[in-house]
Amino acid sequence: MIELRQASLVYKDQGKDLYACRHINLTVRPGEFLGILGPSGSGKSSLLYMMSGLKSPTSGEVLYKDQRISEMSEPERARLRLVDFGIVFQYPYLIGYLSALENVLVGSPGVGTREKAQELLLDLGIGHKSHRLPHELSGGERQRVCVARALLGGRSVIFADEPTASLDHTNGLAVVDLLVRHRGEGALVIVTHDPSMLAHANRVIHITDGEVVKEEVDPSFAPTGPIRETIGP
Amino acid sequence: MKRILTFSTYLVRNGGKSLPLIGVIVLAVLLIVGIVALMNSIPYSIRTIYKHSKNYTGLVPRSNASVDHNIRKEIRDGSPVPIEPILVIRGSQAQVKSIVGGWPFVVLAMRQDDMRRYAKRLNITKIEGRYPKAGEAEALISEPVARNLKLKLGDPLLKPDNADAYSMFPVKIVGIAQTDYWTMMMPYEYHEKYHFPPYDSALVFAKNPADQDKLDRWIHEKYRGANLRVFAYFLLEEETNGMFRILYQILNVVIFTLVAVITLMMAMLINIYQSQRIQEFGLLQALGYTRRDLIRRVLGESIAVVLVGWILGVAAAQGMLQLVKSRLMDPNAFALDVWDRSALLYTIPVPVMIFLAAVGAIWSRFRTFDPVSVVERRLA
Ligand SMILES: Nc1ncnc2c1ncn2[C@@H]1O[C@H](COP(=O)(O)OP(=O)(O)OP(=O)(O)O)[C@@H](O)[C@H]1O
Ligand SMILES: [Mg+2]
Repeated sequence: MIELRQASLVYKDQGKDLYACRHINLTVRPGEFLGILGPSGSGKSSLLYMMSGLKSPTSGEVLYKDQRISEMSEPERARLRLVDFGIVFQYPYLIGYLSALENVLVGSPGVGTREKAQELLLDLGIGHKSHRLPHELSGGERQRVCVARALLGGRSVIFADEPTASLDHTNGLAVVDLLVRHRGEGALVIVTHDPSMLAHANRVIHITDGEVVKEEVDPSFAPTGPIRETIGP
Repeated sequence: MKRILTFSTYLVRNGGKSLPLIGVIVLAVLLIVGIVALMNSIPYSIRTIYKHSKNYTGLVPRSNASVDHNIRKEIRDGSPVPIEPILVIRGSQAQVKSIVGGWPFVVLAMRQDDMRRYAKRLNITKIEGRYPKAGEAEALISEPVARNLKLKLGDPLLKPDNADAYSMFPVKIVGIAQTDYWTMMMPYEYHEKYHFPPYDSALVFAKNPADQDKLDRWIHEKYRGANLRVFAYFLLEEETNGMFRILYQILNVVIFTLVAVITLMMAMLINIYQSQRIQEFGLLQALGYTRRDLIRRVLGESIAVVLVGWILGVAAAQGMLQLVKSRLMDPNAFALDVWDRSALLYTIPVPVMIFLAAVGAIWSRFRTFDPVSVVERRLA
């Protein structure tokens, strides 16, 4: 569904080229739970930005449904994130003057309905707080609103960049669990430096210094067709 | 920005920020309209008080030569437009009050028939009281004069102990004419007997009021440098404009400075408010809103603030002027134009400049804006 071919992302560092990602070949398959694991500064976020269209590769290409993302116009790329992709950022950014419910709806204008959003918040355990403004929520609750925002509208890929970084370990695991359970038929790509978050991933890619160094595959995973959760109740 | 984020969402939910912005614009507009309208009221007063001179050309001797029958014949024979019979009058000095002090005003001394002809020319149809009688120490004034000088029937218009409006005997008001024109009349015969100078002046009326200006200019040209002084409305206009030119230049500088200060202040405020929204902009862009969506929304917000501020400002200014007019100006018959177009025009730079400042702020912000730097927390 998403395919990276020799994709590189280069930053300029004092005139020198700095490869945040180097010649990466990678495919995200429909419905899979893909984990990207690596130490700090290894290029995980950079990889995620390329996959989600937030950054264009310096060289190589990124395709979504066989279309080159880098050849799309800004509005087309934006539309991908609005409709096809859901993204959970490391920091639970919400708009301060919108209620939790509105913050969920803002992620998919015209697609997600108020009822669906409320249902999601209920599933995530904060249904009774949907009227609250972000500053009236705890960090974990805010992150759950962000999860709901990324999930609403039935996305085909959900990205999460260190979604647990601002939470303690238990809450972090809970957020990953929520993503896994509520992603429906969407693929899930989680970037983290913490292997314990990826215990239930179908596939884990290790990257170091911008390069894929290792790939672990759960043999029971069948990459064709939608799959249900491999964990949870 | 469907449904959740309309351009009013931010403004309505952040009243603490949008109200001060609107408030500054309202006050700026109020200030400018106030300054300009009050300033305009001075030349406007001149035009109102001396408006009667629109109806005739006045000829006043400069030395011991009356505007005699020879001059009157010259005018009758040479006039480029048909004229009415020339009114032979005399004049005596009086004063009216303005917001900047006393201004001279002439009491026209006329014969009985001439008073009526003059009144007809000024469209005076209703008089409270009556016309002054020939030879009597009596006067007729118009309603604005009565209000301005706080005079009623029976009060003296001129009196022995008034240096600015002198007569040997108290000249009592016997009639108040209902008209917008400012005018004062007294009997020619009384003036002839007790007033100085003993020389005749003349009022020349074009048959068709529309020709008066042409007649004015012709007479002015004809007697340029002669022993006669010509009074005409266009001369009054020229003199007034000349008198106020410098003052208006100063006003322009003041208003320009004011607008510059306010714009600068607003630009700073807008910049601060937008900096505080960097996270919102970055997040929305990361979520899939285009730069155009965001710019459109922020521009919409700016337009809303500027328009609402300007409209409220104009309304407030209108209310203020109405109040000033009814409480301070009208009781003294001071002229003030509540619907002063030029005062409103002077306020246009306020919304325009502030909007441009907002556009500048938005442009510089979104030109090199990278949402990743926000979600990465490098900008916050
Ligand atoms: N805007 C930038 N300009 C220059 N270098 C950058 C920029 N963003 C990232 N880098 C560099 O690119 C490399 C990869 O950064 P990236 O953010 O992808 O790492 P990461 O794996 O997500 O790290 P972490 O776990 O700390 O978030 C790092 O060496 C970083 O210093
Ligand atoms: Mg990172």
